[in-house]
Amino acid sequence: MTHSHRGILVTAGLLWMAAVGVGFTFLLDYSVQAGAPAVAPSRWPSASRISAPAGHYALVMTVHPHCPCSRASVAELNNLMALLRHDNVKGYVLVVKPAEFSDEWTRTESVKSAERIPGITTLVDVDGVESGRLGAQTSGQVLLYDGAGRLAFAGGLTPDRGHPGDSPGRQRIVSLVKTGTADAKESKVFGCALGATICPPRPPASGKGL
Amino acid sequence: MNRLSERAQVLFREQVKARYVKADRMFAVLMIAQWIFAIVLAVFVSPYAWSGKVREFHPHLYAAVFLGGGIALFPVLLAVFRPGTMLTRQVVVASQMLWSALFIHLTGGRIETHFHVFGSLAFVAFYLEWPLLLTATLVVAGDHLARGLLYPESVYGIANPEWWRFLEHAGWVVFENIVLAWSCVRGMKEMKAMAVRQAEMEELKESEEAKTAALRMVLSELQPSVA
Repeated sequence: MTHSHRGILVTAGLLWMAAVGVGFTFLLDYSVQAGAPAVAPSRWPSASRISAPAGHYALVMTVHPHCPCSRASVAELNNLMALLRHDNVKGYVLVVKPAEFSDEWTRTESVKSAERIPGITTLVDVDGVESGRLGAQTSGQVLLYDGAGRLAFAGGLTPDRGHPGDSPGRQRIVSLVKTGTADAKESKVFGCALGATICPPRPPASGKGL
Repeated sequence: MNRLSERAQVLFREQVKARYVKADRMFAVLMIAQWIFAIVLAVFVSPYAWSGKVREFHPHLYAAVFLGGGIALFPVLLAVFRPGTMLTRQVVVASQMLWSALFIHLTGGRIETHFHVFGSLAFVAFYLEWPLLLTATLVVAGDHLARGLLYPESVYGIANPEWWRFLEHAGWVVFENIVLAWSCVRGMKEMKAMAVRQAEMEELKESEEAKTAALRMVLSELQPSVA
């Protein structure tokens, strides 16, 4: 092999490594890019069509039916509900649907999986009205209200975007329900935006948060 | 070094080279197949990212087409134009492990997709060159290390994993590597033994042919006197 051939190969190899490195960096950045956190009311919203928690925990997840990341969120919700099956937790999945779209639009695998989770009630949330009341902005957002209707936790259940697995969100919810305490009361949420026109982000002053 | 072992060495080198070329070509086909599979996977698993009513092509689709194409391109070119060289093997092996990382991303970190890492290590063993397993392991470890340092939650699921957590992941890879490295060493020994046997056969054949030629010569010298 001549010197010039070797030079071409080394340059090509370095360029290839750089290009692949940049590609994976972009992919990783996207994976860990959290969605907008919920601006959740500190008390259960009285206007909610879900009955207010009375002595039991209410756990609500908002889902965009077509968000690919929501498959992981729903899978983790399944795991979470299995862990909490002996605890006093009622679970709800709000499937956000624009009014002009048909009901068929919501019949995705994520929604069907959510319907199969024991202890979970799925509700179609037309134009995200209910999600808006809870300040949710991202698919996969989970809100936990305690038996007195106080916000106990707001966050997501996946470790990053669309990836199932053990996560701070799951650990904190389990700890809160089982022991009443956790190292934090929020976690990052990873998922598609529910849509600014569907659930407009509220100014921080309108919701006290945690 | 006597004549037999010299010939055995030549035969051994030829067989090893042929094996490398064959494995390079197999990986070239595998790279293209994996690229097509990645695109199909992205189309079916995560075609669109949504924002309310608005949808756009999902970044995974771009990753499958461009990053996947990038991962496959260089090793395929090397396998076609420079098969059997050390550089080709190293690039092919690194690429194969990068495919594992990409598939894990594209399938949303499914635990089942992590089996691709172990399958790929087994493919790498086709070369029967155990140091290539180190290259493969370094690529996997590098990916885990970088992500573990920058985004620990993306690897371990928790923000502050125990310092020894990576050992649990690495331990399974090392476990498979030990078995594969042993089989590589044995495979090479068998190839060497085959080369020695072939060299012996060739020498035997040459010696028999020489004997036959000598006999014919004697016979041809005897025939006129008999006549």
